[in-house]
Amino acid sequence: MIGNRLFSRGTAVNGGPFGKYRVPSHRPNLRRRSKILIVVALLLIPAAYITYLFLNPVLPPMGALDNAKWALEGAAKAGALRYSEKTYRAAEEQMQAGWMEIAHQNGRLAPFRDYRVADSMLGEAYQTAMRAARETGQTVTNLESTTLAERADYRDELANWEDALNGSLAKLDVARYYKSAELSLATCDRLIEAREYQEARESMALGRIWLQKLATSLNSYDNDGQGEIRTWRRWVQETLDDSRAGGGYAVIVNKSAHKLYIVKAGKAIKSFDAELGYNSAHQKTFAGDGATPEGKYQVSVARPRGSRYYKALLINYPNDADKHRFQDNKTKGVISARSHIGSLIEIHGEGGRGKDWTEGCVALTNHDMDQLMQYVGAGTPVTIVRKSDQWP
Amino acid sequence: MMKRVSLAVLALMLLALIGCSKAPEAEMQAAKSAIDAAKAAEAEQYAPASYKVANDTLTAANAAKTEQDSKFALFRSYGKSKDMFVRAQALANKAAAEAEQEKERVKQEVMAMMAQVQAAVDTANAALTKAPKGKDTKAELAMIKNDLDALTPQMAAAKTDFDNGKYLVAKASYESIMAKAKSITDEIAAAAAKKAGAKAAPAPKAAKKGK
Repeated sequence: MIGNRLFSRGTAVNGGPFGKYRVPSHRPNLRRRSKILIVVALLLIPAAYITYLFLNPVLPPMGALDNAKWALEGAAKAGALRYSEKTYRAAEEQMQAGWMEIAHQNGRLAPFRDYRVADSMLGEAYQTAMRAARETGQTVTNLESTTLAERADYRDELANWEDALNGSLAKLDVARYYKSAELSLATCDRLIEAREYQEARESMALGRIWLQKLATSLNSYDNDGQGEIRTWRRWVQETLDDSRAGGGYAVIVNKSAHKLYIVKAGKAIKSFDAELGYNSAHQKTFAGDGATPEGKYQVSVARPRGSRYYKALLINYPNDADKHRFQDNKTKGVISARSHIGSLIEIHGEGGRGKDWTEGCVALTNHDMDQLMQYVGAGTPVTIVRKSDQWP
Repeated sequence: MMKRVSLAVLALMLLALIGCSKAPEAEMQAAKSAIDAAKAAEAEQYAPASYKVANDTLTAANAAKTEQDSKFALFRSYGKSKDMFVRAQALANKAAAEAEQEKERVKQEVMAMMAQVQAAVDTANAALTKAPKGKDTKAELAMIKNDLDALTPQMAAAKTDFDNGKYLVAKASYESIMAKAKSITDEIAAAAAKKAGAKAAPAPKAAKKGK
């Protein structure tokens, strides 16, 4: 009993002093307090954390945004809008999406903001913009090297054409095409200087059209002569035969080859470079047309001195065939009714200028003229043909 | 009575709040259209700085709007984004106007050059007509005429580029033609001087050859 009292001071359950006793009454209070403390602590910690987040919010990735903007600006300056527009626009969209994501997160309560997606988007935008700049650089470099290589080829092509033209009788007829092609090169140079490579290539493409026209014209000029080549061949053959038969001298001028041959007894003994009328692609038709006549002539007067062009051999142009052709052309209206047939066609000196420059004469260097005068005098046959496949 | 007044005031405040929180859709659309118009006017090429400012302002306005969209409805305020959209529209209009002005300036520049080139070609043609012709110069003058004739199709090509709005290409072409026309005029002057020199010191028995 005493023990019970000592060890259990609780209220009797079943009444009476000798009944059963429960745990003392202050113990549950302690537990409740503990629970309350735990709950309060559990509430306070997140509250403190939330307060902390409110006071120290996660900062938006403005640095990443600035980087993306900077990269885009650099790409634009490099010409990405022109040479890598697709990639540039993709970077622009990524940057704007990243910016919008930042704005979206900014609109949320501070504790709930999460800029990781925005950061990632802006990182991608930066990378894409840098790629656009790289692509642009690569494209421009490739375009530049391609354009420069094409220009070098085009220059070579022009130089070749210039050489071809300088040796061609048709120069005056077709030079305008060459000049246009040359002008295209000048425009191309200016565009390359302005770093407008695509346009520079277009300019060269236009120039190549002119060169194509030049080639076509030269071909058609060559074909035009096909009908007359038999005549020229016959003239050459007759001149050689006559020279052989008489054992005398003769002069043959091949206009296409720019050559003058001295023939003796049917054999060429000397040849000289000859310069002709500036418009010698055709037969001479009237005075002042700049063409060297084609036909069989003779030296009518030899002028070893007193010529304006060192020494001269006047030939009997116009011959009967020339006169007949001239009248025929006049009648047909091919040439003006007021035009004249021309005269004073000579083989003379003061040549060696490297171009066809006379009004129809044949010009040799003074040295060659000295040699020619040793063999040729009045009465010597002079045959002038545009071209022939038969030579002494 | 007091209760009713309080409710009315509260309702008015809510209405005001809702009124402020209305998204500036019209302003946003207007700003976007203005930017599209500026782009169509090639402002990116002809007024890049102004276009960039306008575009950035539009993006910033969109960001401001998005920020408000993300907020709880009662806390939304689109006043700032609305102002920015209005400003972006104005800036886009300015960029478009600047682009048009710049294009017009380049166009006028090329047109002025076109007139100068025509004048240079006319001068060269006049000089060629007046150039003294002789055996020493006739061939050169014939080639010079060829050079001059070659300018005509080039001018036509430059005009086509100009009409197609390829002002830079047209300008480069006109510059080339101008340089060529001037060099032709110089060549004619040189040929004339050569002829004059030949006249000043005639060779003995100077007879005109190869007529």
